[in-house]
Amino acid sequence: MRQDAVRGHLDGLLLAVLEPGPLHGYAIITAVQQRSGGALELRTGTIYPALNRLERIGLLRSSWQSAGERRRRCYELTEAGRRTLASERTAWQEFTTAIGSVLNPVTPPGVAT
Amino acid sequence: MSAVTPQTDPIEDYVSSLAAALHGPARTKARMVAEVREDLTDAVSERTRAGLTYQRAADQAVREFGTADELVVSWQRELTIAQARHTARAVALTVPFVIACWYLVRQAGHDQTWELPRTAQLLAVHLAGVSAAAALLAAVALAATGTLARWLPTPDRLPLTVAWGGTVASVSMAVATLALAIAAALGTDWLLLAFAGALAATSHALVAGSARSCRRCARLPVIEAPGAGER
Repeated sequence: MRQDAVRGHLDGLLLAVLEPGPLHGYAIITAVQQRSGGALELRTGTIYPALNRLERIGLLRSSWQSAGERRRRCYELTEAGRRTLASERTAWQEFTTAIGSVLNPVTPPGVAT
Repeated sequence: MSAVTPQTDPIEDYVSSLAAALHGPARTKARMVAEVREDLTDAVSERTRAGLTYQRAADQAVREFGTADELVVSWQRELTIAQARHTARAVALTVPFVIACWYLVRQAGHDQTWELPRTAQLLAVHLAGVSAAAALLAAVALAATGTLARWLPTPDRLPLTVAWGGTVASVSMAVATLALAIAAALGTDWLLLAFAGALAATSHALVAGSARSCRRCARLPVIEAPGAGER
């Protein structure tokens, strides 16, 4: 799936993979790829500005954590982030229901009721 | 005799070119670049564990990350906003200086007899008013690029507006410094006026450098980040 298709949904994807717990940048990318079965092609570099923006607007918080000799910046959802994720899910379900009812109508087209 | 060209580390090359292309607050930029280095190191480790040589693993990781040219524009948007917030905070920090400056000038002006110092004082007060207006703009900018950005799109021209607001505040504080220095030299309450001038000079120094960096960042090309401003 092209990256353009993800545009507009990136925030929701990032919030969703962070829902179970804190992750660092590379783990976030891996989680998106695994959850989508490899269907979503994200340029790894595109997520950092998005993570930075989500942190700036208070949906995520981050901190440096040491893992052996390495230091990684880990991101986690804030309460506002959880609320936003819930509303993203609701909006997405309403959207897919609406599109689905047009693409796959229960009543075949052309049948008068 | 054949010259052996030492192979450079693709990760370090990449990180260096990205760092050279980006402009913004040093701490934010350093943090972003450090994260890239860590991410690429993780990606290379995963590939070398799968059997690739370091060089091939690093080349692959860098390719997947996206070229510096592809990424720099979207990254610069965040850094430009970070710089605008930095400048806005610097302008907001001058408010206590402006209030102190105003108070000192009023105190010194009670028994003023010289015409020139009185003019200089009035000028300083008006310029402090300009700085206060810039501080109000800074507060709005901080709100618009912070929590409010969850619901409202951030105007593209906001960083440039903050940059010029900061510039105006910094120039006004510089002129206020000069005016207060003249007033101090000619007035009777020279100590209070000199102190007010020192406060104005400090305010100018706080804002000027940040506003200059913000003007530079705001002139760089940016694109809207995916998902940004869509609520």
